[in-house]
Formats: sequence, structure tokens, C-alpha cells
Amino acid sequence: MRKLIFNYVQTHKSEILNEWIGQMKQDADERAVYTMSAQMFKKTSSEFIELLISNFTETEQEFQSKLTGFAEKIVRLGWPLTVVTLGLRTFGQIVTEGMQEKEVVAQHNFIEFSVEFERWMFPLYNTIIDSYANTWERTVSLQKIALQELSAPLIPVFDKISVMPLVGTIDTERAKLIMENLLEGVVSHRSEVVLIDITGVPVVDTMVAHHIIQAADAVRLVGAKCMIVGIRPEIAQTIVTLGIDLNQVITTSTLKKGIEEALEMTERKIIEVEGE
Amino acid sequence: MRIPILKLHDCLLVSIQWELDDQTALQFQEDLLHKIHETSARGVVIDFTSIDFIDSFIAKVLGDVISMSKLMGAKVVITGIQPAVAITLIELGIRLEDVLTALDLEKGLEKLQRELED
Repeated sequence: MRKLIFNYVQTHKSEILNEWIGQMKQDADERAVYTMSAQMFKKTSSEFIELLISNFTETEQEFQSKLTGFAEKIVRLGWPLTVVTLGLRTFGQIVTEGMQEKEVVAQHNFIEFSVEFERWMFPLYNTIIDSYANTWERTVSLQKIALQELSAPLIPVFDKISVMPLVGTIDTERAKLIMENLLEGVVSHRSEVVLIDITGVPVVDTMVAHHIIQAADAVRLVGAKCMIVGIRPEIAQTIVTLGIDLNQVITTSTLKKGIEEALEMTERKIIEVEGE
Repeated sequence: MRIPILKLHDCLLVSIQWELDDQTALQFQEDLLHKIHETSARGVVIDFTSIDFIDSFIAKVLGDVISMSKLMGAKVVITGIQPAVAITLIELGIRLEDVLTALDLEKGLEKLQRELED
């Protein structure tokens, strides 16, 4: 039976290809078909069909690696997953209909045909979806790492004064990272005052406040002072409404004021140089 | 093993060089209080630079030592707490609230002198 299907596909390759391209252009999402040049689309499509056929001629292993390679390639080309599965489905339909028309498949062997056909198509679906999922997972984890790198930098702005600007939502995992970076930075830069700038933190709830207070406490333990700067009016409102006690920590509204205060704490100040 | 307690003018200097076990910690508590009594020291600096691990019992003993010293009229500065230790202490809920801290021994001594002057 497998041989029968293969022979059919092999002999009617170009017909199937043309029909497939026609149908895909009709059905598929515009962005898949038209983001590519027609030539490119045709080339990729024929490669796709070629690959489906090679399933018969090559060993399982070779086919697997070829399929994975192709799947990765179309992922890179940016074909949406829906288009690819639609493509597989269309291909299946064309072959089935074609074989019925040519009366290769008839009533008596239809069940055998469909079982065999199913057995042939299923690994294709599986591998393609698998490689899409892998690519997505890889992207997500890469982005996570990138986000982590950007997450909590400690910048030494003057001798003994460092600033940690926080941007974005703070969750428990990030809070831990913040705390570690903050303490390591304080010790390695020998800072006496650290300013945590929360201008870019959209929401300060009890959890975020708790993490910030913990960080401030830990900074005090390693022997530096911690200031929280960039408290916007709405954040001040939430903090008081939620009944969060920030009395232990020095707070200011802007980073500028905070720096001035930090300089004062370390017995320095910025003076203007008189003009000539 | 006892922890050496050194006298420097009117201050006592303690550098903890290895991980404390429960026995040593209690012994240290006793020794330090005796020494404060003996020398009538006005300040104590405890340096933690070489400690990178601390458990809850030791942390509690430390907290106690600090409040006891305070009762005996000595100001305590702790110096050189490592980030990991600070995180552990905070996670254990030990905040050591009224304790003076400094980054290293040098700054700790400076801070203590300033405190004693006022």
C-alpha cells in the first residue's frame, strides 16, 4: 500500500505541487504567502513536497534529520504554524482526492489506504509542531536571560554612592536578584549610600514594598545606607493607604534630591564654579 | 576554640575567622561580656569578613551579645557582613535594628570613634 501511495505521488509530483500552491494561495493567511517572493514560495513549496516524498525512499533516521532541518528552516522564514499545518492537510487532501480520481484507491482498499496514509502523515505533523515549540521555547528562554541581565544594574555614580534604577514590575524572583546584585555591588564598589530608584516601577503593592524593605535592611547589615528615591505621588498614596511602614528607610521624591542628600551624608556637596 | 578579643585603647576588637559552632558562640558571649567588664571598654567592633555562612542560632546569639554589650554601656559596631550572610539574616527575620554597621574594619573603627565622641 505504501508503495502504491509513493508511486502515485512520485508520478504526479508536479501536478500535486501546482495544485497545492494554488490552494495554499487561496486558503492560507496572506502574510505567509505574500511576505515571500513568488519564486521563494515556489521553491520552498517544492522542497516541502520533495521532503514528503523522500519519506518513502530514505531510512527513518535520514528522514527525521531532514525533516527537522526543514522545519527549522520554515520557522526561520516565519511561516505561521497554522499555514504549515494547513499545508500538510491540503497536501493530504490533494493526494487522497487524486488517488480516488485515478481509481488507485477504491471502496475495497480505502480503509487500508487511510490507515497507511495516517501512519505516514502523523510523524510529519509531530516533528513540525515539535520544532516550532522548541524554537519558541528557545526564544522565550533567551529573552528571559536578556531580561535578567537588564534586570538590576548597580551604577556607581560617585565615590561611596551607587544608584540602582529599577524599571518594570518586580516579582519574587526578580526581587531576589535585585537583593543579590545590590549587596554584591555595595561590597565590591565600597559604597556607603545606595539609592534605589523606583521611578520606573509601575505598581508598588505590599509585596514589592516588603522586598524593598528587606533589601534596605540587608544593605544596612553590610554596612551601608539605603535610600529609596523616585517615589511618585500615586506611589506615596498607595504606600500610605496600604499601611506600609517605610519609616526605617530614607525616602525622597526624585533621584536628584536623593543624590544631594547622599552627598550630604558622606560629607560632600556639589558647588558651582564661579565664572571667569 | 576561643575567639581572641583584643583591646585597642578604649575599644575591643573581635575578628571572627572561622564558622562558629554553638559552643564557641556561647563561649564568645561570655568572654566578651567579661572582657567589657574587665577593661571597661566603651566600644566593641566585631568583624565578620571571613564568615560566609551563618545559622539561626548563631544569629540569635549575636543579637543577644549586642544587646547585652549595650546594657553594659559599650557601643557595638559590626563590620564586613558578606552579602550572603545579610540575605540569610534578613530571611531569618533577624534585623539587628539598632546595631551600627560598616563595610570594613577601618570604617567601623572610624564610625565607633565618631559615635564615642558625641
